[in-house]
Amino acid sequence: MDIILGIRVKDSVILASSKAVTRGISVLKADDDKTRVLSDHTLMSFTGEPGDSVQFAEYIQANIQLYSIRENCELSPHAASSFIRQELAKSIRSRKPFQVNVLVGGYDTRKESPHLYQIDYLGTKVDLPYAAHGYAGFYTFSLLDHHYRPDMNTSEALKLLKMCIEELERRMPMDFKGVLVKVVDKDGVREIEDF
Amino acid sequence: MSDPSSINGGVVVAMVGKDCVAIACDLRLGSQSLGVANNFEKIFHYGHVFLGLSGLATDVTTLSEVFRYKTNLYKLKEERHIEPETFTQLVSSTLYEKRFGPYFTGPVVAGINSKTGKPYIAGFDLIGCIDEAKDFVVSGTASDQLFGMCESLYEPGLEPEDLFETISQALLNAVDRDAISGWGAAVYIITKDKVVKRYLKTRQD
Amino acid sequence: MAGLSFDNYQRNQYLTCSTNTKAQATSTGTTIVGVKYDGGVVIAADTRSTQGPIVANKNCAKLHKMAPKIWCAGAGTAADTEEVTKLIGSNLELHSLYTSREPRVVAALQMLKQHLFKYQGHVGAYLIVAGVDPTGAHLFSIHAHGSTDVGYYQSLGSGSLAAMAVLESKWKQGLTREEAIELAADAIEAGIWNDLGSGSNVDVCVMEIGKDAQYLRNYRTPNVREPKQQSYKFARGTTGILSERVLDICQVEEQTVDIELEA
Repeated sequence: MDIILGIRVKDSVILASSKAVTRGISVLKADDDKTRVLSDHTLMSFTGEPGDSVQFAEYIQANIQLYSIRENCELSPHAASSFIRQELAKSIRSRKPFQVNVLVGGYDTRKESPHLYQIDYLGTKVDLPYAAHGYAGFYTFSLLDHHYRPDMNTSEALKLLKMCIEELERRMPMDFKGVLVKVVDKDGVREIEDF
Repeated sequence: MSDPSSINGGVVVAMVGKDCVAIACDLRLGSQSLGVANNFEKIFHYGHVFLGLSGLATDVTTLSEVFRYKTNLYKLKEERHIEPETFTQLVSSTLYEKRFGPYFTGPVVAGINSKTGKPYIAGFDLIGCIDEAKDFVVSGTASDQLFGMCESLYEPGLEPEDLFETISQALLNAVDRDAISGWGAAVYIITKDKVVKRYLKTRQD
Repeated sequence: MAGLSFDNYQRNQYLTCSTNTKAQATSTGTTIVGVKYDGGVVIAADTRSTQGPIVANKNCAKLHKMAPKIWCAGAGTAADTEEVTKLIGSNLELHSLYTSREPRVVAALQMLKQHLFKYQGHVGAYLIVAGVDPTGAHLFSIHAHGSTDVGYYQSLGSGSLAAMAVLESKWKQGLTREEAIELAADAIEAGIWNDLGSGSNVDVCVMEIGKDAQYLRNYRTPNVREPKQQSYKFARGTTGILSERVLDICQVEEQTVDIELEA
């Protein structure tokens, strides 16, 4: 029941992910970071099978970093998302597929535009203004449908995100220990402290 | 999880008119009952050949990329664009290659042969059996509804503008009877020297 | 054949594990028959293809050419009948080129059955192979698992029972060409009317010793659709449009250049 949410606005992308790690009936950790920085302007958040998700995220992270070292060029968010999709689409055809769903948030420094991609474990990729995986979408999409405007700025988006998180805290049966919020914009990736 | 070809939902339809063809798709991408995106286009083009792909979204994307790769190689080798008839055989063999582990898609090819000027459409099942029709082909989660709509609305020899109305109404009324299709629609009207793409006004429920 | 790819097999096993639904491939519900007569052989088929209860194509072609004088009627999984006859047809042509002889029906039979046996019935092709070669006229049937039958008349597919009833009661030794065609077409019609998986028209192919094969597409059309009495044409502008764009698809230009040839 991990929560990962993403919102793309005028000049940034915000990714929020729950801080709890649960196994069965226990909460094992309350300050987990379910994101990995892929490059200066690309961030990925992920949920799924406990082992698979971190393994996959760090495999992607390593390969994208390797690419930028080799080619001396940062992969655009679009290119990075295509690579991740391809890896997941390959994985679903393998003996043991990765059970991982991801969101990719990035700022394309060349086109000067933010991008948000939702990719599931089957390799289904979509470019979206706001996205979620798992149950979070059922609770928050109606709020986002209603309040979202494409020309919002980052602080307005954070306010909207807050509404979503409050809704989740109110309606979800489990305590997910709050969310870790990161913003990607032209200056790179930064964490929003005490959201 | 149920049938892979109806997890994401979506439809594609193509029709032949007088010296023209039309191909249309809906724009929904869902995860079962949850609508995820309303901008998921299921029609791709390789030169003047159009390919519609309904079914499992991951396979739709994968196949669209496979055919982009294959048609690009074809173009480099032959120094010309692939023709609809040739592309149909390419689709068939590509799908049959995966006979015992198929891609869960229902492809539809539409185009006009640039040499002969003949309109051409074809449909496939998931393992590449070609269904060459002279009137219309349908595919996707609302294919039953589309069969009914097309069978009654279609008439041969429609002009491009009339074909647009017929294919649009067939699509619109079919997806309204399917819970996991709709959420927008795109229609391509293809004539020998012009391709017009239109987004339709559709229900959003 | 280099072999079919099983790449996605595991994935699909996983994808479909929690269901009992199976992806629907087009199948030729089908009635197909073959009849031998004095001096040749004739095969016939209906023209309906189905996906579950839906008629996918009302006038498909189930008679496949494997060699100029060896034709094959296919029932079962449509893609399999199409691909298997195409594949063996190619190999047959290569073989005839290599040996400088006309391809023989028994060669086609052997290649088909060995291929189908190799795939243990998973390639779902049920075929009636017929043709003429230097050794005479032949008629065989093959099942998906690789077993074969020989006979003066054969029927296969979901309408095979209806067709066989006709063949059993009407076939006799020493039929003429015309009698054989009519018998085959009658047998197919029995399937068309009495079997739900078969319908529409009758395709026939006649292979006579010493003559070219004659493919009679839509030999009988007992199910012609009544023309529509009224038009459902919509007034232009009925459909609401949000936006419109003319696609710039690369234009193919042709130019004729005069080349002066020196004498």
